[in-house]
Amino acid sequence: MKILIIEDENELADSISEYLSEENYLCEFARTYNQALEKIESFHYDCILLDIMLPDGNGMNILEELKRQDKQDGVIIISAKNALDDKIKGLQIGADDYLTKPFHLSELAARIYSVIRRKQFGNSNTVRQNELEIDLLAKAISVHNLPVILTKKEFDLLLYFIGNRNRVISKSTLAEHLSGDFADMLDNHDFVYAHIKNLKKKLSEAGCESYLKTVYGTGYKWEG
Amino acid sequence: MNKLLNKSLKSFTIYALVVLAASVPAYYYLVDSIWLRELDEHNEIVADRTENELNQLALTETELIQSIVLWNKIQPGTNLQKNNLDKNRKDSTYTVLRKNPYVAHEDIDRFRGLSRVIEINGETYLLTVETNVEETEETVVAIAILTFFFFLILVVGFLILNRRLSVKLWQPFKNTLTRLKAFNLNSQTSITFENSNILEFQELNEALNKLIEHTISVYKTQKEFTENASHELQTPLAIIKNKLDILLQKEDLTDRQYQIIEDINKALTRVSRINKNLLLLAKIENHQFDESETINLSKLTEECLEQLQEHFLNKELRVNISIERECVVTGNGVLIEVLINNLLLNSIRHNLQKGIVEVKLNQSGLIICNSGKAPLEKEQLFKRFKKTSDENSGSGLGLSIVEQIYKRHQWTIDYDFQQETHTFKINF
Repeated sequence: MKILIIEDENELADSISEYLSEENYLCEFARTYNQALEKIESFHYDCILLDIMLPDGNGMNILEELKRQDKQDGVIIISAKNALDDKIKGLQIGADDYLTKPFHLSELAARIYSVIRRKQFGNSNTVRQNELEIDLLAKAISVHNLPVILTKKEFDLLLYFIGNRNRVISKSTLAEHLSGDFADMLDNHDFVYAHIKNLKKKLSEAGCESYLKTVYGTGYKWEG
Repeated sequence: MNKLLNKSLKSFTIYALVVLAASVPAYYYLVDSIWLRELDEHNEIVADRTENELNQLALTETELIQSIVLWNKIQPGTNLQKNNLDKNRKDSTYTVLRKNPYVAHEDIDRFRGLSRVIEINGETYLLTVETNVEETEETVVAIAILTFFFFLILVVGFLILNRRLSVKLWQPFKNTLTRLKAFNLNSQTSITFENSNILEFQELNEALNKLIEHTISVYKTQKEFTENASHELQTPLAIIKNKLDILLQKEDLTDRQYQIIEDINKALTRVSRINKNLLLLAKIENHQFDESETINLSKLTEECLEQLQEHFLNKELRVNISIERECVVTGNGVLIEVLINNLLLNSIRHNLQKGIVEVKLNQSGLIICNSGKAPLEKEQLFKRFKKTSDENSGSGLGLSIVEQIYKRHQWTIDYDFQQETHTFKINF
């Protein structure tokens, strides 16, 4: 899988690349607007991470350029701006997702995962891990071909883990992910534990192997 | 409060009163002395004529005596008496008060008299001529009445002039004042004052213009600073966050090290939250939100409550909800959602374990109550970074944002603490 990181901040680009490369992603960089234009013209990427504030141009124009060239690359906008206008405009022009800085790499990985799945597996978007089958489109799972009913939050969590296989994800990161844009204001993260507990219970009751491991006391890791 | 013109009117009136009061004795002395001088002159003429006429008659001594007796009887105000005084004795004048015998009631008249030694047929006589003169008090009263009348005319004149002037003279000032009152620093639009041909007002307007322009520019710079600073912080925060995520993946990590990373993560989340909220505040203040959307508040409130469901459960809170159907307001959806969320989050965070949360919504307002121990300080409630409780996990900006949002929508908020319950009421 090829990822293009269009980001002028080297440290950030390097971290993203380091995190993603362990997941069989091949990362390329573009530090400027012009470099980015060159890259998207010559190559195809599975996903493009686009910082819309570049030193020599507006990232929005790159989106427009992609659309003009009729490219099907998935695009996730990464912005320091949490401006709703930009978000809506970006999604309208053809971005697949929008992420506001600062974000967790696990969050980014999960988003990249679902963008790529959506783009490439269109109608039969199913992930399989041994006895566990996840239908991303229908948002349903089955174990040993028997459906298991998950709540919205539990399904969301499961997908997050699948997008971050073999990575340690801390409880606070999960709390941020689950509570969205605003509710991270609550410092009590016990609700994360409740969701995880339920998810684990449902999976094991259905006969699924315990892929979800607890590490360091309050961290989690999906093995597979 | 006193009006400026009324203040000057009062001084003018007092001054006029003093001057006019002082003029009463002055007029009196003037009138009286003119009177007396004229009467002295008159008395002298009478005396001269009497002396002359009597001498020209060339009466015999007997006739003269008879004439004088007769004279003294019928000629009022004069008296002629034989006397051996020196012919060259100087005339003397005097004023005398005397009862008037010819009127029924008691009346005292004032007379101006002249006594002179005259010579008739070689004999010296003392001639006294007396003429009635106006009494002191009568003159004073007349003058005082007249003066008071003029004083009244003056005061009435002042009042009328004052009323007219205050409208006309102060019009430019009032225009300026109206515009100043309507000025809102948040809207960041400068005021244009009308030109005035009065120097003072023109100077005032110019000074105000300068002040306002300066204020707006300082305010803008400050706002931009907040927004820019918050923006600039996002990237380094992102770098720290990402590096921590990578550190977390190291296989030789100990539990203790994991815990440290997690603690840093939590602190970092708080910094990001503060930063985000500062940015949001700056954006609200910089009018970056459209406030003309039609919002179904009932639906929005239910969605917010739904999202927080697990947090209510987590703290074992009893939630009483009473939401009227189809409550619609005009405003910005994103901001209103933030407002509801912030109030709801506070009702969870500052609640007691197994406490109560009450949410009531109708067309006139939104009420959110929660259990609590002690009342909060009203004055400090909406100030940035003011901790009103010992709970310190918040960003310290939640209620400041609430304040900005309800003000933007021209709503009001009431806070109350009764029966161990905090109540926030937003009035649409």
